[in-house]
Amino acid sequence: MDAQYENELRNLQMRFIGKIIAGFTHEIKNYIAIINESTGLIGDMMKVGKSVENDLPAYLDIIHSIEDHIEKTNGHFRYLNRFAHRMDSPLSSFHINESLEELIALLKRFANQKRIVFKQDYDTDKPTVYSNPAILQLIIFTFLEQNIMELEQESTITLQTTVTDQSVRVTIIPNGKRIEGSSVSIPSELLDIVIKELGGNISQDREKETIILLPLRPL
Amino acid sequence: MKREDINVLIVDDEVALANTLAQRLQMRDLKVGTAYDGAEALSRLKVDRPDVIVLDLRMPGMHGMEVLREIKKACPEIQVIVLTGHGTDKDEEEVKKLGGFGFLKKPADIEMLAHKIKAAFKEKCARTL
Repeated sequence: MDAQYENELRNLQMRFIGKIIAGFTHEIKNYIAIINESTGLIGDMMKVGKSVENDLPAYLDIIHSIEDHIEKTNGHFRYLNRFAHRMDSPLSSFHINESLEELIALLKRFANQKRIVFKQDYDTDKPTVYSNPAILQLIIFTFLEQNIMELEQESTITLQTTVTDQSVRVTIIPNGKRIEGSSVSIPSELLDIVIKELGGNISQDREKETIILLPLRPL
Repeated sequence: MKREDINVLIVDDEVALANTLAQRLQMRDLKVGTAYDGAEALSRLKVDRPDVIVLDLRMPGMHGMEVLREIKKACPEIQVIVLTGHGTDKDEEEVKKLGGFGFLKKPADIEMLAHKIKAAFKEKCARTL
């Protein structure tokens, strides 16, 4: 890959990582705010003399809410940690479904802003591909973000994986009306080069679906 | 000031956060309701007649700024305090420009929030005299 394309790809990657971290911190900040208010509420109840014996259900509800949000925080950290480790080595074998699930979890907040729902329809064989997981996530992110920007509120985006002969097919299917929107896309020449380096190929119909074929490789 | 004196509406898409904040403010003698998005908040303006609205910015559907603009258009006397997790200085400026009473960042100290709400209510009373 020549220096100009490499530079362009790095810039897109930096933007992608920034976006993921922004969404992640927003989510975590909300969970912390809920935990903070919940512990504050327990303190308030104690100050006005609400005893644990008499108000046990109310105390337990708050404690369950705190536990639930700690679990959500933990789950989100797990996704971010896995996402960060995708960059450990340029090529590796990995479960495509897990990689997509993680991306969806980290992007959900952006879609929620437009009440866009992600539907996940994954091959139950849990296909493994041999590719560059970080770059692949960048490509899929770009298509998902483009759809989020260009679709009307309350649309859906389906992510599908299917195994065909020697490859895994990842299909992104938008369902909703298109609106005017500015979004960042990977220049087509760069996309062709990157997909080739991943050993796959791509076919695109912006309004209908995007199909990415990747080489199948058992772990 | 008695509980029924100040009618507050909390608007936040985080249901658990909105409900917990409501409970804490109720324990500080405020009458508090909740709405979980901008459209619901706007539909409640004429029915609940809140004195003060505590409004999140980033919500699904309508953005908080849009909600603030609509509130001020429909009921300019209602005082709005923006309570956001990720507000920037630019957001704060915009809130002021749109007639917002205050701009606080999450997590806000509950006493400070209650104090701000009471100050907003006083402002509303002074303006409607």
